[in-house]
Amino acid sequence: MSSHTNEHGSIINTNESAIRFQLNGKSIQKNLPPAKRLVEVLREDCELTGTKLSCGVGRCGACAVLIDGKLTASCLTMAYQAEGKSVTTIEHLAKDEELHPVQQAFLENGGFQCGYCTPGMIISVDALLTSHESPSEDQIKEALSGNLCRCTGYGGIVRSIQHILTQEKEGMHRE
Amino acid sequence: MKKQTDTRNRIRPDGKAKVTGRLTYLTDLTLPNMLFGKILRSPHAHAKIRRIRTEKAEQIPGVHAVLTHKDVPGVNGFGIIMPDQPVLCEDLVRYVGDAIACVAADSIDIAALALTFIEVEYEELPVIDTMEKALDPDYPTLHPDGNILHKAGHKRGDTEKAFSECAVIVEQTYELPRQVHGYMETEGGVIVPEADGQLTVYVGTQHGFKDQFQLARILNMPESDIRVVSSPMGGSFGGKDELNIQPYGALLALKTGRPVKIHQTRQESIRTSIKRHPMRITMKTGVDPSGYLLAHQTWIKADTGAYSTLGPAVLDFSVEHATGPYVIPAVQTEGLSIITNNGVAGEFRGFGGNQVTFALEGQMDRLADRLHMDPVEFRRMNLRKSNDVGPLGQRIAETEGASLVLETIATQYQQQIAQKPASSKYSLRGYGTAITMHGGGLGYGRLDPAGGRLSLKSNGKIEIAFGFEEAGQGILSVIETLVLEELGCDVEDLSIVIGDTALVPSSGSTTASRGTSMVWHSLQKLKQPFKQKLIELTAANTGIAQTELRLGKAGIWSTKEEYDQPVITYQDLAIQQREEIVTHTRFDFPTTPDPIDSGHFLYTFSGVLAGVEIDLLTGKVKLIQLDQAIAAGPVVNRNGYIGQIEGGGAMAVGYTLMEEALMKEGHYLTTNFDTYLMPGLSDMPFLMNTIPIEDLPEKDIYGPRGVGEIGTVGVAPAIASAVFDAIGIRIDQLPISPEFILQALEEKGGVAVE
Repeated sequence: MSSHTNEHGSIINTNESAIRFQLNGKSIQKNLPPAKRLVEVLREDCELTGTKLSCGVGRCGACAVLIDGKLTASCLTMAYQAEGKSVTTIEHLAKDEELHPVQQAFLENGGFQCGYCTPGMIISVDALLTSHESPSEDQIKEALSGNLCRCTGYGGIVRSIQHILTQEKEGMHRE
Repeated sequence: MKKQTDTRNRIRPDGKAKVTGRLTYLTDLTLPNMLFGKILRSPHAHAKIRRIRTEKAEQIPGVHAVLTHKDVPGVNGFGIIMPDQPVLCEDLVRYVGDAIACVAADSIDIAALALTFIEVEYEELPVIDTMEKALDPDYPTLHPDGNILHKAGHKRGDTEKAFSECAVIVEQTYELPRQVHGYMETEGGVIVPEADGQLTVYVGTQHGFKDQFQLARILNMPESDIRVVSSPMGGSFGGKDELNIQPYGALLALKTGRPVKIHQTRQESIRTSIKRHPMRITMKTGVDPSGYLLAHQTWIKADTGAYSTLGPAVLDFSVEHATGPYVIPAVQTEGLSIITNNGVAGEFRGFGGNQVTFALEGQMDRLADRLHMDPVEFRRMNLRKSNDVGPLGQRIAETEGASLVLETIATQYQQQIAQKPASSKYSLRGYGTAITMHGGGLGYGRLDPAGGRLSLKSNGKIEIAFGFEEAGQGILSVIETLVLEELGCDVEDLSIVIGDTALVPSSGSTTASRGTSMVWHSLQKLKQPFKQKLIELTAANTGIAQTELRLGKAGIWSTKEEYDQPVITYQDLAIQQREEIVTHTRFDFPTTPDPIDSGHFLYTFSGVLAGVEIDLLTGKVKLIQLDQAIAAGPVVNRNGYIGQIEGGGAMAVGYTLMEEALMKEGHYLTTNFDTYLMPGLSDMPFLMNTIPIEDLPEKDIYGPRGVGEIGTVGVAPAIASAVFDAIGIRIDQLPISPEFILQALEEKGGVAVE
């Protein structure tokens, strides 16, 4: 069987091609159906389940990853689109037991509850803070407009971000 | 000793795994030899099934099983109260989520393909897509007992006489929408047939033992042969309490002898999951000339959809809460839970309280308005006092909650109205308040057992076990905090076990805001006997008097001398003791002593202040402020508590301003988060304010109450009140759409912008 129709009516091509990309700093080569969704490649073929699938239509942000540093919905990205690119997932943020500052801030400030949106949310906050040193309220809202959280009401997430910004400010004053 | 404020700010035990993405949810599991399951659902809202043919699907390479009703060995039905929802339909489908067949295959795509080759012949029947049609004798009945699933009511005093004495009477009908839980993790997991003939079900639920019971009935297997691993979950909010994909995964796993994974897509989830009940509520409320409430009548019609699940209990809860925290001498409440071909409605955070609270607080605002009274003052004069009976006339635990939240939120309101100017000349701001009370536990006359187990394990760990599940609400954090406080041991000494029927005692369901309360109650019963056993053993071992020993970090410490280490470690104590030291407790959730069915005993209270800015050009209502004062006893974990209140608040903001699972002729018009809109960050106030009121009456023996629901109940009426404050338009229907606002403004002839 080389192709069939999936439940959404789109053609699934099961012919595989070799796809090479960087995943969390390591070179990866896998034989994959080129149209397989990146979120499934990550979760199934690469066994990295930190990236979540929730809406599957690019609305909720649970599947957010960085591709060449750019925030991307991995449910709307096909395997072939990762060819030659560098993909960063939530698993790459902490260095062993040392948490990334965004992770630490979420941990201390109630930035999560059920945790299912959290990997995507943290990736998005990281992308925001990489591109904006001191984002305004509007910039924070804009940056997280693609991420849904059903648990926190976003209060804990905002406090997490503010905590990082305050810490950075204090750090600058000390210097 | 640590101050309580330190222990109550602990980082939650599941936190690190969650922020790193390392936590394995049950839908993340992959097992060797695993197959993938898919479920065929009805394309019709109401139809007879003429014939089901599965041969073509079975022949597809990679398909391992195609099952229909013939393959259900036990009771072909499920439902927490009554098993009236077919696992696999035989001759009739009653809604678009009804299952007809299920498939296990080598891949999800093959399973999905196989569904398209299952041939089902239907004969379409008239669709009962409104409550009117359900009650119309010209339409068919959907179940043998008719289209009324449940009637509930409450009556006290003589309403007819009381209304005749009223100076002002307000009568209004309120329409409440169907809401989607919107948990980020859709239903799913893996079901594994074990070598010894047992079955392990790795699927999230809010009551593992209830799933075990229901699955045993369906599979015709002993409960003891079914292990349910039910935690963690990526959200639930009541939505995963009923069975969802478990029966299909179990049937397929048993048939194929291989692990079967099912993980619903969001579209499948919205089509099949239970929802918050749409309700039509008419209230007639009257006051005497000075503003005292005399009479209150309520008629509730709830669209419960095709099957019962917890529909009857939700209606009972609505009926109970129809008078809220107010003292009203003459009350009559009548409720109907009505069966339709619409999506099934069931348990959802707030449990019928949200709908009646919206109506009740709407009545209070309208009455205050008619009386030219301040809405806070009007509520104050009609409010229950500490020792007043509950809303069904039952005795309840003494509580000043009602007046505490009212006064706190009134103060917040006073501070806000000074900031009324809006951001542009085409917008107006308004502020409004509402209050509510909400019962915890399942209520009088329902089985509501709780319990826990505390042990010193052979490895030297102190193990606390509860039959609860972690859905995100933070029960692990509550357990850890309370055990550390009550025992005095260190977090390193502790192991917490939940969410696995093979390992935990029965604690009842993880619902009804009962978890925190039941953990605290359990520990009050467990701690003394457990400590006593450990101290007795230590005294026997060391010769130190029992009165001079206490539990501490890593072991038992002397209270007398300044040692830098325990007199004996938990590890050594465990080694010296041949058998594990175990203490159990089992008790029932506290209920009212009065035999009034479904009446609650422990209530929490909220006072809500909402601020809105309304764009007069687009009609958009933007929430700019949300403060909630909560009276629920002591805060156990600060972040967890605030998260529950703010998160519950956000869910209610969606309910009030944007969320509605629209249906037409029994079909969902909203199928995913692109058409069913839930609040994002920019739909919420950037900063919210939660004000915990932790004081309990002096003699209270019931400890911290759960706050899983209270933050979501009173928000909608506060927003409606704020909308009225801004533009003078009363809201009687949710969600408040921009279209409604624009039309209402036009009919009103516009509003003056200062």
